[in-house]
Amino acid sequence: MNERMIYAKILFAITLCAGVTVAIMQGFIAIADAKNQGVFARTSLAREALPQIVKEPHDLVIFYGSSMTRAGFSPRLFDRKLNEMGKNVKSFNYGFGGLNPYFQDFLSRRIKDEFVANDKKLKLAMIEFNPFQTTQTRWQGAKPVVDSFLSMLASDEELFEIAKQDITRGTLLFNIRYIRNNISSEIITSSFGRGIFPPYRWRQFEDTEEVQQARREIGRKLGEFFEKDYPDLDYQDWMYEWQGAGTIPEERSEETLIAFEEYYDLNQTDAQMKNDRLSRIRSADIEELNFEPLLVESFIQIVKNFQQFSEKVEVIMLPRNTKWITNTPEGKKRLALAINQIEEATGITIRDHQDLDIIDPTMFSDTTHLARYRGDVPYTNYLIEQYANDL
Amino acid sequence: MIFNTPIFFWFFLIFMIFYGLVFVKQKAKVYLVIVASLVFYGAWNYAFIPLLVGSAVADYFIAQAIGNSDSQQHKKRWVTLSLVINLGILATFKYADFVLVSVADLLSVFGYHASIDTLGWVLPVGISFYTFQSLSYTIDVYRGDMKPRKGLLEFVAALSFFPQLVAGPILRARHILPQMHAISLPKWDAVKHGFLLITVGLLKKTGADLLAIPAQKAFEAHENLSTLEIWTGVLAFAGQIYGDFSGYTDMAIGIALLLGFSIPLNFRVPYFAVSPVDFWRRWHISLSSWLKDYLYISLGGNRNNHRTRNVFITMLLGGLWHGAAWTFVAWGAFHGLIITLTHYLAGLKVFAAFNSGNNKLITMVKWAATFYLILIGWVFFRATDITSAIQILSAMHSFTNDAELGRHAMAIFIMTSVWILLVHIMDFYVIKGADKLEKKPWLFWFLIILIQSICIMVGEPSNEFIYFQF
Repeated sequence: MNERMIYAKILFAITLCAGVTVAIMQGFIAIADAKNQGVFARTSLAREALPQIVKEPHDLVIFYGSSMTRAGFSPRLFDRKLNEMGKNVKSFNYGFGGLNPYFQDFLSRRIKDEFVANDKKLKLAMIEFNPFQTTQTRWQGAKPVVDSFLSMLASDEELFEIAKQDITRGTLLFNIRYIRNNISSEIITSSFGRGIFPPYRWRQFEDTEEVQQARREIGRKLGEFFEKDYPDLDYQDWMYEWQGAGTIPEERSEETLIAFEEYYDLNQTDAQMKNDRLSRIRSADIEELNFEPLLVESFIQIVKNFQQFSEKVEVIMLPRNTKWITNTPEGKKRLALAINQIEEATGITIRDHQDLDIIDPTMFSDTTHLARYRGDVPYTNYLIEQYANDL
Repeated sequence: MIFNTPIFFWFFLIFMIFYGLVFVKQKAKVYLVIVASLVFYGAWNYAFIPLLVGSAVADYFIAQAIGNSDSQQHKKRWVTLSLVINLGILATFKYADFVLVSVADLLSVFGYHASIDTLGWVLPVGISFYTFQSLSYTIDVYRGDMKPRKGLLEFVAALSFFPQLVAGPILRARHILPQMHAISLPKWDAVKHGFLLITVGLLKKTGADLLAIPAQKAFEAHENLSTLEIWTGVLAFAGQIYGDFSGYTDMAIGIALLLGFSIPLNFRVPYFAVSPVDFWRRWHISLSSWLKDYLYISLGGNRNNHRTRNVFITMLLGGLWHGAAWTFVAWGAFHGLIITLTHYLAGLKVFAAFNSGNNKLITMVKWAATFYLILIGWVFFRATDITSAIQILSAMHSFTNDAELGRHAMAIFIMTSVWILLVHIMDFYVIKGADKLEKKPWLFWFLIILIQSICIMVGEPSNEFIYFQF
């Protein structure tokens, strides 16, 4: 065999091995439907909706934030009431659980790109500052998903900038984007890891068996009612027709609304709430609030991004469940410093909605999120009161 | 740029196209190897390329000068210059800060609080490997073990040869230089073995990255761990460092085989060793043989009843070679101690039965004792400082540890043990019987693709090999 032939054979073997290997991996990712799971799906659907959003003829409003925004803001209710006041408004819920400010910064750049490219402006941007999404603990917990989110949300130019600083990392991110369908090996490992070694859940407190049974039963019923109320719905994590949020009471049957009341009562037992609090302390350092400087800087960048294509930008701290979550004195000091840093950097005064009179602890579904119907409706009404004049 | 990253894949693919299809002539191939190796090295830090090339050029001309010298005295001067240059580079970049800090610590013991500014220089990747490799050439020429070879480019190419540049094996000039002077066409059987080694190395590296999780937990947050979890962490580190380093070496040997080069084995199932001496014949063979040939023998070897001293000095410096920290010194000293102890015990009549015969039970006892000692050694190697090493050792042997056993502790312990065993069985098979597998093409390629698929699908964030820091 001549020299070129043997090297051609080696090259063929290398590319064939790599090609088949990549095909197997892509097949696995497709079968596992990894791209359409949880926050990945919601984020990519919300991003895909942007070209349609900028073409809307209305004054546009986006509420941008965490899962607290997702749970607490009802755009359809917001729009309906404002439309009744004669305002031509269309709003969208851009709240994402698990998307910390570092990732949100990249998503906000993509939103900005779309608006700027279409010469469109947001009438109002409401941006949630969520202290416990900005902690070191939260950042540590996000490590396995950093590469995937970055490859999904950064532009080619931004990835190229990373590659200029660190060619190995840059190539890895391009590889994740174009060869691995945004699914990094760490995500797959962490998913397998959770399967083999389920994470320790803070189940220090237990409800009685009757309560647990009743909760399972009502959960099952709610599932059935959902099917009944929306028989033809092809549910996705971020739906344009729902403007990125969930259901509204007007669409639900009487029995569903009663069932929800029962569900919240069963879900707000002492044991449930204590367990949830411990879980938040462990996963988000919710009471001590040791901030991660990178995340605070990223948050400032989010605000600056929105300032570039919005007529008005508001930074808001959403209602908190003060019955269960209280910051330590040190946590309060750190929070005050972070707020000060954000306000100085952006020139915007943060609106503190943490302790609103109209919100009480029964309006939460757990220690942090406003409950659907019980909580999101009064809070959205409050936002309408606050911002109707600006729209 | 490490082997299990996408950038290396693309780098290597482009390199192979040029190496195999474009640059057919010997000289052109050598040029290409140099350029590719410098790009490979420069991916970490281009600033250190002159250091690498400079030390290669210096040793090339020093070797020529030794070869041209008539008197032994002149030869000695030249080889001393080589030692000063290579060890000077190591001392400056690797050990200067360690010495300065140690002096300051020592002075503070006597009440003098000296304010010493450390250099804070970045350690050039692979510096310990290529300085030792380069040094072996001038020493071999000085000793008359080889004649200096003409061809500066070939020497630079051999020293900077990217598959083994940053983490070994430490090649001897007499082994690699002739290959670089006449680059041979790879044989298909060797290529297949290369693919097998790359795949096996990839699997070991992937496993090592996963083992890093329990290891890190035990070494960096051991205070609240149960005895079993501490043992698991130490065991996991044993698996991690073996998978990490031998995996890298396997890939290096495999890549070299695809290019028509042969690189000697660096590991021979080391955790199957039945004595500390046996361990060092199986672990990082290229370093232990280097230390034996150039340090231990230079110190006098077994002669003049100085074996104990010479073993101890060799192991101490071998420990220090790994890193500028007291933990590495302690690790080297510990191995010096157990090797000396092994020699001593072997000389006792009461242990005569241990040294003869093929009794399986005795072999098992020897293996268990050796493995236990190796694990103890890894505690010094991995611990952040001597104090925490002692704390971990004490926790490993504590029967009164009241820390609550983690929920998955036993499962992780079993999985770690099984993984280390499986990797060793796999390695044993690759060394002894790979040709049988390579003769069954369908099964061979199926396994290659299956293992590679697993390795690219799962994995933990890991941007480094442990041995790069040495």
